[in-house]
Amino acid sequence: MKAIGAYLGVVWQILRKDIRVEWRGRQGLPVMLMFALMIVFLFNFALQLAPDVQAGLTSGLLWVSLAFASTLGLNRSISLERENNALDGLLLAPVDRSAIFFGKTLGNFCFTTLVGLLLLPVFSLFYGQNLIRAPLLLVMLLGLAAYTSLGTLLSALSIQARTRDVLLPVLLYPLALPILIAAVEASRGVLAEQPLAEMSSWIYLLLAGTLIFNAAGLLFFETILEE
Amino acid sequence: MLKKPAALVVLDLLSLTLVPVVMLIIIVYTPVEVVMGPVQKVFYFHISAAWAGMVCFILGAVGGAGYLLTRRIRWDWLSSAAIEVGLVFSIITIFSGMIWARPIWNTWWVWDPRLTTTAIMTLIYLAYFILRAGVSTPEAQARLGAVFAILAALTVPLTFFSIRLFRTIHPVVIAPADGAGGAFSMSPRMLNTLLISLLVFTVLLVDLVWRRVRLAQFEFEMTREVE
Amino acid sequence: MATITLPPELLRIDVHSLVKRYHRHPVLNQLSLTINSGDFCLLVGDNGAGKTTLLRILAGLVRPSQGAATLCGADALSNPLVRREIGYVGHQPMVYQDLSAYENLLHSARLYQLENSEERISQALQALGLAAQQHQPVRALSRGLLQRLSLARATLHQPSILLFDEPYTSLDQEAAGFLDRSLQNWHRPERIILLAAHRPQRLLSLASHVAWLKDGRIDAHIPVSALAGSPELNNYLREVT
Repeated sequence: MKAIGAYLGVVWQILRKDIRVEWRGRQGLPVMLMFALMIVFLFNFALQLAPDVQAGLTSGLLWVSLAFASTLGLNRSISLERENNALDGLLLAPVDRSAIFFGKTLGNFCFTTLVGLLLLPVFSLFYGQNLIRAPLLLVMLLGLAAYTSLGTLLSALSIQARTRDVLLPVLLYPLALPILIAAVEASRGVLAEQPLAEMSSWIYLLLAGTLIFNAAGLLFFETILEE
Repeated sequence: MLKKPAALVVLDLLSLTLVPVVMLIIIVYTPVEVVMGPVQKVFYFHISAAWAGMVCFILGAVGGAGYLLTRRIRWDWLSSAAIEVGLVFSIITIFSGMIWARPIWNTWWVWDPRLTTTAIMTLIYLAYFILRAGVSTPEAQARLGAVFAILAALTVPLTFFSIRLFRTIHPVVIAPADGAGGAFSMSPRMLNTLLISLLVFTVLLVDLVWRRVRLAQFEFEMTREVE
Repeated sequence: MATITLPPELLRIDVHSLVKRYHRHPVLNQLSLTINSGDFCLLVGDNGAGKTTLLRILAGLVRPSQGAATLCGADALSNPLVRREIGYVGHQPMVYQDLSAYENLLHSARLYQLENSEERISQALQALGLAAQQHQPVRALSRGLLQRLSLARATLHQPSILLFDEPYTSLDQEAAGFLDRSLQNWHRPERIILLAAHRPQRLLSLASHVAWLKDGRIDAHIPVSALAGSPELNNYLREVT
C-alpha cells in the first residue's frame, strides 16, 4: 500500500513540477497555441475553399492543429529533462520508473488539452459552428489521451538520438495515424449532430489506443531510458 | 568467413528455381480473368508480397522482443534484417498495387484500407531506419529499435481497422463476380496459383532474411577483428 | 544529523565480473570490486577509462552488459528501494533552471517521499551555504553554488552510499575547500563514499582507499596507508595531478 502511495506521489510530483516550470517560464503553452492558430490561418489561405466546404473540414483541421501543437509540447517537455540532466534525478527516485512515464504523459495531456479547449471557441468563431459541446469534449479528451501517451513514449525514444527534435514527428505521425483518423471521424460525427452511439467504433478505437500505448509505456519506458 | 550452412544453400536453390516457375505458372497455367484481363495476374504477386511484408514485420517485432528479453545481439540482427526485407516487400506491394489499379480504375492510387495501411507501414519502417541511423551506439540501436519495432507492430492492426472503417474500393478477393466493385471470383486454378505464390514468397522471405542476418553477423565479426 | 538506516554489516558495494559494452570494445571488462562500510574510496584512472560508467551502473542509471553490481545485496537498476540508499552527484547538477534552489530541493524531497521536508531542506540549505539564494531561479547561480545545490540534492535523503563523479571540476578554491569539509563530515563508519577524482593527489588526506581503473578493470585497490608499497600507483597519482 505504501509502495502504491510512493508511486502515485512521484507521478503527481512530476506533473506538479511540469506545471510549475511552465508557469514560471510560460514558454510552452503560448507557443503551442500560437502554432495551432497559425496552422488554421495557413490552411485557410492555402485551401481557398467555399465557406460551406470549409465548415466540413473543421474537425480535420482541429485535429491537425492539435497534433502539430502537441508535438511542440512533447518536444519541450522532454527537452526540459535533458537540460542539466534533470532526467537522471527522476531516474534515481526510489520508485518504478514507469511513474516517470505517467507523470510526463499527464503533463503533456494537460497542456495539450488546455490548448484544445482554447481552440474550440476560436474555431467556433471562424467557422460559424458551435464546437463547445460535451460529446466533442469527450472525443477530444479520449483522442488526446491516446495521442499524448504515444507521444510521450516516442519523445523519450527520440531524445536519445542526435537528430532529436526532427525525429519525434517522423516517428509519431505514422504511428498516431489511426488515433487521428478515429478522432477526426468521431468529431465530424458529433458536429454533424449524429448520436454518440453511431461513432462507437471510433470511440472504441480511441480507447484501445489509449490502453495499448499506456501499457506500452508501463512496459517499455524504463528500457528506453536506460543506457 | 563463416561457411554457408547446407540448409541455406538449399533455400537459395529453391528460391532461384521456384520464382521463375511460379511466374511461368501465372502466365501459362492460370486463366485470364474475364473482366480485368491479363493485368489481373499482378494480383498474385501483389497479395504474396503483402503477405511476405506482414510476416516480416511480425518477425521484426519478435526479434525486438527477443533482444529485450535476452539482450543478445543476434535477436537484433533478426529484427533489423526482417524489417529491411519487409520494407522491400511492402514497396513491391505498393508498386504492384499501382500497376494493377491503373488500367482498371484509371488511377495510380486508390485510398483503400489495405493499400493505405501498407503505405503507412512503409513509412513506419522507414522511420525505424531513421531512428537507428540517428543513434550513436550499436547497443542503443538495438534497444531503441526493438521498442519501436514492437510498438509499430502493435499499431498496424489499429491502422488497418481505422482505415477499413472508411469506404473501400479495393476488390473483395473471394466473392461473387460483379465487375463494378472490382471484385472477381476465383476459379480453382486461380486459387491454386495464389497458394503456390504465397508459398514461394514465404520461401523467398526466409531466404532473404537469413542472408541478411548473416550479413549482419559478418559485419559484427569484421568490426571485432579490426579492434 | 546522520540517521542510521542500515546496520553496517549489510552496507557494502559488490561488483562482480562487470562488463559494459557500448560499441564492440567493452568499456568495463570483467571488473570486480568490493567496498565496505566506512570506506571513502577514490576512483582514479585516465579520462575515458570507465569511471563514469562504473558510477552510473552503481547508481542504477546504466544497465550492465554482463555481470552484477550490487549495493546492500541488490542492484539499483531493478530494485527501486535500493535507490533510497544512494546519493549520486554526476557531471551535471540535475536541476530545473526555472525553479529556485528551494523548489528544486522540494521536488527532490517529494520524489523520495521524505518527512519533515521543509525542515530538512532549510537545514541542507544552511549547511551548504545556499540560504541566501534559495529563492532565486537556479539559472542565476554560479557554478560553485550549483555544485553545492547538487550536493544538497544528493544528500537530502541521507543516503548511506555516496557516489561522486569528478565533483571538483571547475570549482574555485573556496568551493573546493567547502567540498573537502563536507566530505570530511560525511565520511563515517556507517557510510560508503566512492569518488571519481580528476586530481586525486590532494584528496589522499581525506580518503581511506584508492582504486585504480585501468583497461576496464580494477588494477589496484588498496588503503591509502599502503600506497608507499605500490610504486606504480603512486607514480600514476603524482603524474595525474
